[in-house]
Amino acid sequence: MLSKLKEAILCFAAGIVTLRYPFAPHDPEGEEGEFRGYPEVDVNRCIGCGGCAAVCPARAIMIEDIDQTTRRITRLRERCIYCGRCAEVCPQDAITMTKQFELASDKVREDLEHVCEVFMATCKRCGRCYEPASPLDKIMEPGYRHDEIKRGGQEPLYEPVEASSE
Amino acid sequence: MTAQSFGDSLKNKFGDKLLEVEAAGVDQLYVRIVPECLVEVADYLYNDEGCRFVINSGTDRREHNGKFLITHFFAQDEENLYIAVHAEVDGNDPRIDSITPVVPAANWSEREARDMVGVAPEGHPDPRRLVLADDWPEDLYPLRTDVEHGIKPESCPDVAMPLVEPPEGASVVPIGPYFPVLEEPAYFRIFVEGETVVGADYRGFYNHRGVEKLGCSVLTYNQIPFMAERICGICGFVHSCSYCQAVERAAGIEVPERAEYVRTIMLEVERVQSHLLWLGIAGHIIGFDTVLMQTWRMREPLMWLCERITGNRKTYGMNLIGGVRRDITADVHGDITDVLAKIEKEWRALYDAIPGDPTLMARLKGTGELPEEKARELAVAGPTARGSGVAIDVRVDHPYAAYDRLDVKKCVYDSCDNVARVLVRLDETLDAIDIIRQALDDMPDGPIMAEIGEEIPAGLEAMSAVEAPRGEVFHWVLTGEENRPERWRVRAPTYANLQAVPTMVTGDALADVPIDVGSFDPCFSCTERMEVTDLKSGIIRVYTQDEVLALRQSK
Repeated sequence: MLSKLKEAILCFAAGIVTLRYPFAPHDPEGEEGEFRGYPEVDVNRCIGCGGCAAVCPARAIMIEDIDQTTRRITRLRERCIYCGRCAEVCPQDAITMTKQFELASDKVREDLEHVCEVFMATCKRCGRCYEPASPLDKIMEPGYRHDEIKRGGQEPLYEPVEASSE
Repeated sequence: MTAQSFGDSLKNKFGDKLLEVEAAGVDQLYVRIVPECLVEVADYLYNDEGCRFVINSGTDRREHNGKFLITHFFAQDEENLYIAVHAEVDGNDPRIDSITPVVPAANWSEREARDMVGVAPEGHPDPRRLVLADDWPEDLYPLRTDVEHGIKPESCPDVAMPLVEPPEGASVVPIGPYFPVLEEPAYFRIFVEGETVVGADYRGFYNHRGVEKLGCSVLTYNQIPFMAERICGICGFVHSCSYCQAVERAAGIEVPERAEYVRTIMLEVERVQSHLLWLGIAGHIIGFDTVLMQTWRMREPLMWLCERITGNRKTYGMNLIGGVRRDITADVHGDITDVLAKIEKEWRALYDAIPGDPTLMARLKGTGELPEEKARELAVAGPTARGSGVAIDVRVDHPYAAYDRLDVKKCVYDSCDNVARVLVRLDETLDAIDIIRQALDDMPDGPIMAEIGEEIPAGLEAMSAVEAPRGEVFHWVLTGEENRPERWRVRAPTYANLQAVPTMVTGDALADVPIDVGSFDPCFSCTERMEVTDLKSGIIRVYTQDEVLALRQSK
């Protein structure tokens, strides 16, 4: 009997230890920690080098050249393990690990899939996509400046310049 | 005795039967032998030299030299020595003599090598399938290089595992294929006479995930640590750490000292949280749920701390070849010290309460007995071994990371029952807290990642062991082409410990079986790194739950 009482006191002494979540929001940022959530991609910075795809342990990032100047990068983020390796190797710092962890969805594939298409230069020898040595080289590539390339569903970076009627 | 002198003594003993002896450093020895004398060598190592059998591994090297490589790994714990015995067998007629008759602990791994690469152990006392599904095609060996990693043969519903006949007069109580307390797939057939258990048979590997195959055919060196970490849901860091150490050693990469300390701290943090978790589960198994609630409450601040340090509560994602990705900076030191102080205080209260608790003692004392000699024979690891008076601990016997610079104690008890295994873990948790404090104090400044210049050359090998909360984790890596290992072999401690179940449950009451199995903290997912379909079959008389209940009530 005495030990049961002791047990009860032990349990009461701890007080409330659970979080109010989901009735109160939980913010991992508040922990000042290094929490790794949903990897956000700045599609305007992506140069299509494919480093993220090469290091991804879950093989969640797929690279596909859909024509000679367009590289499509598909991120199947339902597979993502949030390790942050892609953000670590990205030479353009285009990927940030956010604190977002509420990713439950009834359409996981659609909601968590992210596609972006990047304009690439075409190799004069083999005809395949490659990343030009400098941004200037890229501007010189035919087809770059009036691109209506989809950049992750966003507006194109540059509006095609209308020729002045005057 | 160093690896070199041990190699020389082997050479003197076996002469021409040893084709090659190579010492790597002072603590690893690789010998290549004539396959015909494998039993003789194994017998000598195990019986005369007192080596402990660790695991064996089958490698398909037909593309290189037309042969299969079978490697048996032994450990000489007193001399800080790991020995790999390579034997090459003909690629067209892959057979090798079974060493199980002389080294009983080799039972499972020889069957696994047969299932996975198709090298048949001749003279094996129990040649049933172990790893592959019962309806997996006869001549398809998943770890051979000519088999695709994503292969899915058609299932065939009418095949069943051959069952072991229970002893005369005994009845069978099946538990599984989902083990009721651990919510993991395992199928035990417990043979009982009345209430008393007289034997057991086990069928597991229902959850085989093909981890080794993926590592050797799809992933690259630096992708593997993240998958290795997912071998176990509780103590994943030990696997990524052990794998990285093996590759680093094979390639001769010097890990910065600070990275070694970070690894050590994380390993010990993991041990504390794993032991807390285990104690809760053990309480839950025997129906003492207050223990579960309290230990898990105590564990929670540690999980938050892990998130703060690594970015995640579990699967830290810290290890890469050459070091760690995140430092333990000065501003988390305070947090670590606070959390440890809190856990230590509460753990001490628990420590004083447990040995005096009549409920716990009634259930734990004298149950799940594993005598010392049996523990040695079955080569069990970790707290299971130390609870049976076998004083082995990788941290002391084969120091890795920063353990050679820290004061680590072996916690050994010799009552050989469930109480001993509880006490070992109670002691170890306090010891782990102490090690974390030492490491935090001693941690030198410096980089946390080595600079790795060129590619890792093919054909190098190394072994690495880490003391996981459950026992010794062992990894062997043979480097290969295309930036990935040619063969990566993993042995989790539960692989050895599970084989001791029949011994532990024999003589106990049926009601003690869950805690017997629970007492070595089984991690079925660790053991089952590959994939199997579930087929249950009961040829012999099988009781339903209601029948068991009715029987108990009529007593």
